[in-house]
Amino acid sequence: MSTTFNYFIGFSFIYILMAWAIYLPYRVRDLHFLTVATMAVTAYFSGVAAVNWGWPFYLVLISGILIGALLSYIVSFLIGDVPTFTVVIVGITFIFITKTVIENTDYLGGTMGFFAIPTVDNILLIMTGIILFISYLLFMIDHSQLGRAASVIFADKKMAYSLGIKPKRIGKLFQTISGGIAGSAGVLYAYFTGSLFPDFFSFHLVGTLMTIVFIGGYSTMWGIVFSALLLGGVPILLPSAVSSWKNLIYGVLLVSVILIKPDGLVTKKFLWKLKNKIKGM
Amino acid sequence: MRNLFKIFVFSLIVVLAFSGVSFAENEVEVDKWTIPFLNSVTGPIASIGEYMSWSAEYAAREINENGGIRGKDVEIKIYDTGVEPDKGIKQMSKVVDDALVVMGPVPEAVIMAAVPLAARNGLFSMPVSTSYEYAQKYFPWTLSWYPPTDEKLPPITELWAEKNPEMKTVVQFVEKWAAWPGMADAHQIGLENKNVEVINIEVPQNMVTFDSLVVKALSKKPDGILLTTNSNKAAKIIKQLDDRGWQNKENILVFSSADDTPLYTTGGKALEGISIYNYINPNSDNPRWLEFKKEYKKAHDGKNPGSLATNYYDAVYMIKEAIENKKITGDPDKLKEERKMIRDYTRNVDNFEGIQLTWDMEEGIPDSKGAFLFKIINGEKKLIGEVE
Repeated sequence: MSTTFNYFIGFSFIYILMAWAIYLPYRVRDLHFLTVATMAVTAYFSGVAAVNWGWPFYLVLISGILIGALLSYIVSFLIGDVPTFTVVIVGITFIFITKTVIENTDYLGGTMGFFAIPTVDNILLIMTGIILFISYLLFMIDHSQLGRAASVIFADKKMAYSLGIKPKRIGKLFQTISGGIAGSAGVLYAYFTGSLFPDFFSFHLVGTLMTIVFIGGYSTMWGIVFSALLLGGVPILLPSAVSSWKNLIYGVLLVSVILIKPDGLVTKKFLWKLKNKIKGM
Repeated sequence: MRNLFKIFVFSLIVVLAFSGVSFAENEVEVDKWTIPFLNSVTGPIASIGEYMSWSAEYAAREINENGGIRGKDVEIKIYDTGVEPDKGIKQMSKVVDDALVVMGPVPEAVIMAAVPLAARNGLFSMPVSTSYEYAQKYFPWTLSWYPPTDEKLPPITELWAEKNPEMKTVVQFVEKWAAWPGMADAHQIGLENKNVEVINIEVPQNMVTFDSLVVKALSKKPDGILLTTNSNKAAKIIKQLDDRGWQNKENILVFSSADDTPLYTTGGKALEGISIYNYINPNSDNPRWLEFKKEYKKAHDGKNPGSLATNYYDAVYMIKEAIENKKITGDPDKLKEERKMIRDYTRNVDNFEGIQLTWDMEEGIPDSKGAFLFKIINGEKKLIGEVE
């Protein structure tokens, strides 16, 4: 496998994880950008744990997931049941705070970045395992009573209350799980690239993830896989001259999809039709 | 006799056959030499990236007009890194399997992110615009274009202090970006060697107006100002000093990395009389340099070459010399060994004739390279001193 293809797969996997971390809370209309700050925290934690403390990879991975989940739980506990807009503002504020702290902390490399994180053998295999596990978890959530309750909350929160569903509790649970997913993405990113730079964990990443989620489709977890490969990974395979226009291409695609197919390219209806077609064959 | 003749003919055939094999082994296998250059042609240092790309491509044009490298044209392929390490890694992943050698990356953060990937894959990188401290981390898979910063820079600030003996206190504005803090430390060593007190003031990267910083600096009552910031910030600070009645302009020194177009376009007349240092001597009479300068000015609206303009020009020629002297073929089957041959040649090249000076490399470190001190008179740099 060529190095370019390795990196295409690796970055695509990281984008899939991060887009899933946005997708899950959005099932109850929480646009949860805290995931980006969580990814930054666990990525830098991994760097410090691996380089300065000499921790082994699996210990760092488990700790990173727990840190991500705990951070998200605390924040979701504190903000409670608030409108989507407030969740967005809280997420953006945390991104700003995290980035500022990193940039001004020499121990974390400051604006220059944190480097020389050791590589791990078979990292792509480990990533594949994590992707499979999380996809199974999300699939189970989507097809459980919890998933159906989330769909009701997404459609009409007041109706959900009248049916005895507790949006706050489900929102908190989803945000905590998404924090864990973002935590794993941060750890994997740190080991995969071997270097961290505060500018990566910024609004640019939010934009990329939003594009992946809304082009792929936010009503199922599968559209993200397709759009993360397309939008997150393919720029690596494109010639340099084209990939420099990446942001413009993302912007045009996002606006086009929102105007033409607001639910994204892969919807539940689309999957249902596809399933029937396959059965018919 | 007939047998002897037969033996002679047979021996001749054997010799020819073997020499034929030996020629075939060294034949060039590529249609053209492609040298990837991981450069920052977008983002905050795009103006520097542009002229570094231009100079590498200019060297390639010159080489191709003179018969190429071992009879084949050379092409510089630019891979934009922005200033994003993440992007740098992705770009490096595109070249790491096939390239013979890679120029760059630019800038330092990208070097630290992407060069380990190149080193792991046995690809030699030439980040010739960075300081020794960054290149040295990845030896032997990189080389340094400069001697260690704390050896290279103190003599130039010492020279500036000698020329302005009334200076007792200097405020140094320092922007903590890339290699600049290390350069600021080296400036300080030189000044302190001349018993000049140095007060450092940090310039935040996202700062756009500098009134408060200049007021803070002036409150220290300095008699000299040293600017270790980007060109635009340096120009704005000088303008502020000018507006606030700073008299002795020669006591303002601008460091090499700020010797870039925005310094002159933003600074304008406020730059008149200031001191500036860099590593290229515009007054060199080397015909190659004169031609380079002429073409550069033609391509850049009459502006003089920037401080790092010649680095990648020389790097292309150094690669050319390595390919020719080591008889590199470009054969993919020999990629691993030929990469090492280029690496070992360039890291230990003797008497390399650069566009400005001739130097030796020993284990990836140049023996000596000068620096030049200028004063800006009528918008032009006039040489006032140099250090070996």
